[in-house]
Amino acid sequence: MAQSTTHTLPPPFNSSSTTPKPPLITQGAEALLYKTTYLTPSTPIALKHRPKKSYRHPTLDTRLTKARILAEARVLVKCKREGVVVPAVLGADWEEGWLACEWIEGKTIRAALDGYLKRDVGEEADLRGEGVRGLMGRIGVVLAKLHGIGVVHGDLTTSNLMVRQLEREGDGLESLSLGENREKGLEGEVVIIDFGLATQSVQDEDRAVDLYVLERAFGSTHPQAEGLFEEVLRVYGESYKGAKVVLRRLEDVRLRGRKKSMIG
Amino acid sequence: MIALGLEGSANKLGIGLISHPAQGKPPIILANLRHTYHAPPGSGFLPKETAKHHRSWIVRLVKQTLQQTGITPSQISCICYTKGPGMGAPLQSVAVAARTIALLWGLEDKLIGVNHCVGHIEMGRAITRASNPVVLYVSGGNTQVIAYSHYRYRIFGEALDIAIGNCLDRFARALNIPNDPAPGYNIEQLAKGGKELVDLPYAVKGMDCSFSGILAWVEGLADRLASDENDSRADRLKTEEGKVVTPADLCFSLQETVFAMLVEITERAMAHVGAEQVLIVGGVGCNERLQQMMGLMARERGGSVYATDERFCIDNGIMIAQAGLLAYGTGVRGTVEDSETTQRFRTDEVYIGWRERDG
Amino acid sequence: MSAGSELKLPHLEAYPVHVSLFQDVTNAEFLKRQLLEGNAEYEYAFLDATTIISVNHVLAAVFRAINDSIHNRLKSRNVHSEIVFSLSPNNNIAESFRRFGVSDTTNTLLAIKVLNAPNSAVTRLDPASHLGSCVEGNRIEFSDENLKHSADLPRIRKIYKLNSSDNSKSKGKSAKSESTTNGVHNEAHELKEMEAVILGIMALKGS
Repeated sequence: MAQSTTHTLPPPFNSSSTTPKPPLITQGAEALLYKTTYLTPSTPIALKHRPKKSYRHPTLDTRLTKARILAEARVLVKCKREGVVVPAVLGADWEEGWLACEWIEGKTIRAALDGYLKRDVGEEADLRGEGVRGLMGRIGVVLAKLHGIGVVHGDLTTSNLMVRQLEREGDGLESLSLGENREKGLEGEVVIIDFGLATQSVQDEDRAVDLYVLERAFGSTHPQAEGLFEEVLRVYGESYKGAKVVLRRLEDVRLRGRKKSMIG
Repeated sequence: MIALGLEGSANKLGIGLISHPAQGKPPIILANLRHTYHAPPGSGFLPKETAKHHRSWIVRLVKQTLQQTGITPSQISCICYTKGPGMGAPLQSVAVAARTIALLWGLEDKLIGVNHCVGHIEMGRAITRASNPVVLYVSGGNTQVIAYSHYRYRIFGEALDIAIGNCLDRFARALNIPNDPAPGYNIEQLAKGGKELVDLPYAVKGMDCSFSGILAWVEGLADRLASDENDSRADRLKTEEGKVVTPADLCFSLQETVFAMLVEITERAMAHVGAEQVLIVGGVGCNERLQQMMGLMARERGGSVYATDERFCIDNGIMIAQAGLLAYGTGVRGTVEDSETTQRFRTDEVYIGWRERDG
Repeated sequence: MSAGSELKLPHLEAYPVHVSLFQDVTNAEFLKRQLLEGNAEYEYAFLDATTIISVNHVLAAVFRAINDSIHNRLKSRNVHSEIVFSLSPNNNIAESFRRFGVSDTTNTLLAIKVLNAPNSAVTRLDPASHLGSCVEGNRIEFSDENLKHSADLPRIRKIYKLNSSDNSKSKGKSAKSESTTNGVHNEAHELKEMEAVILGIMALKGS
């Protein structure tokens, strides 16, 4: 991924203070993500910063940044209110272009599946295993809930879904077998993150496209796990009234793909 | 090898003659002639009149090309023409000419149909030497963000409704801005005198964008523009700060907004594929403000922007010759029988056999 | 967190914050009057702890107030009044004082002072000792445990328009492991969820 030449944190995160300099976690086209602490030294957050774009007219730049930070924050708060598992919003400054969200400790679905699917030569991952099917089901439930409250994520990939392990007493991981370890990696609460492209919509088309984007992501990052996504859709379809209509719409979206016609 | 290229998918008729002297050597442009059909101000060019224009100029231009360069038909390896996409009648009129020339010169099985967009990309690459850039293709009929991968020019983002050039042309019409030399050029010049930024609808959706919203907005307000900054009529369009908006201001605001949208979707594609270079092709790519904005974005990412001048960014015959000759060099052939044209022809439908699989 | 010690919010270490929590306060009326009369020795944010749910709830308001102060975006008189204002979901300053500020009948009081606040008169008073002398009540630890006891949850839900049934109803639907369905964990979880929504509402205020 191309690196930006310089990136400065917005105030007050840029002051030389006793808090260590927040490390950059990822950089997208739109925003930079840092990990730091907020409110107390023991509260970790993901700090999302939308830096000023020098190519944009300053008035337009401020307007867009503000609109996008607010849109994302509003969607996250709406999700929180309605019980959809997403990071909490702890603070924001739309003039400086930053959003402070709860840090989710866990791994992405992508990493969880990678861990589960990678086997030695000759060994095949059990795609019908309860653990992995259960995880797919939980994804279906969470997506159904999201769509059910009128939110469309806009950028569903296996990197924007996480599994967060819940507190458990008992065995340290060392005492588990490799197989049990693999299963354990699939356990936990599914958390949806990165709502930078989310919109509030109840349109079947938008919901179907949301699912389609995730389906394509599954297909390209985990090609050997093709059948798994069906479980996501099956559970999704049973989770809210109107979900079946969305699934039918999904079939149309698949056919269209990106084959929009061009007129010269 | 020498190729003749004929382009006429819109209102520009272009004839080009290009030479590929040897493997690995840069192409040599032998001739690049063009004549543009201009519709009167307030209207757009229509297929029938455009085709008529092409028919009446093509023989002249081809003859001039041969005279200018001293090249004879026997030295020419293939005839390249725009297969599509574009307007039906103009495309067909040029194709008829291409077939005729091919038959006359004994090249009836060396008639190469070229995708107009691929032509722009290959000419851009040849002129600027950008090796593997993300390409922003912006013209009257097309708006696409393209990146090369595995023998195809893949479309990462595009305008979902109308092309940027079309949007600019119609905007010019709404404000009665002249079409000569080009509506977009005249908007650009007017914009230089504008300074008030009007709040216009900004429509980027993921990797795509759309222009019909902003167009509808400006068309609706065109007759409320102030004549100058001292226009004190009460009903005149004003910014949030209360300043009146002149045509120059609206041109300025439109450019700042739609170009920002284009730069944004280009940046998203660059982040997605990890590219640093951007190449702008197509008529709208001549716009200096767009080039400047793209350059600022590219530099912030540690990269650079490439663009060609009006000889190549505006539709021309040489780009058709270039792309056609590249294809011909890999063994592509074509006959008069299968030399039809098509109004719809997606960039990713073409097999790019002359490039390496990974770049 | 020991009673009356200074807190340094990450990234705002230049503005240390003193927070003291008092229970069984008997002179709330007097303290409120000092504020109304603009007594310079009483530049504090005095909050009624019944509308405070947790430590983070307070600190989020403090962060916002200091941040807005640094950016010259204060909507109220000073950073201390801004702390009270920042707790409110809407832009009505008077209402925020009525809801969150100290009232004549306040029993559990939260006193906050921002040190080195921009545009603030330099104070020579040590907040801990000053408060110790002027507040008639028992100082207790500023902690989630203590704040939970004094919090009036139905009132807080009403102010922030939270629907208690929504939260718990939906939790049942999403798959969770058994450990969170036992009674104790559930209550802590619910409070955490409430806090999360409240902080989000506060972050969006004024947008």
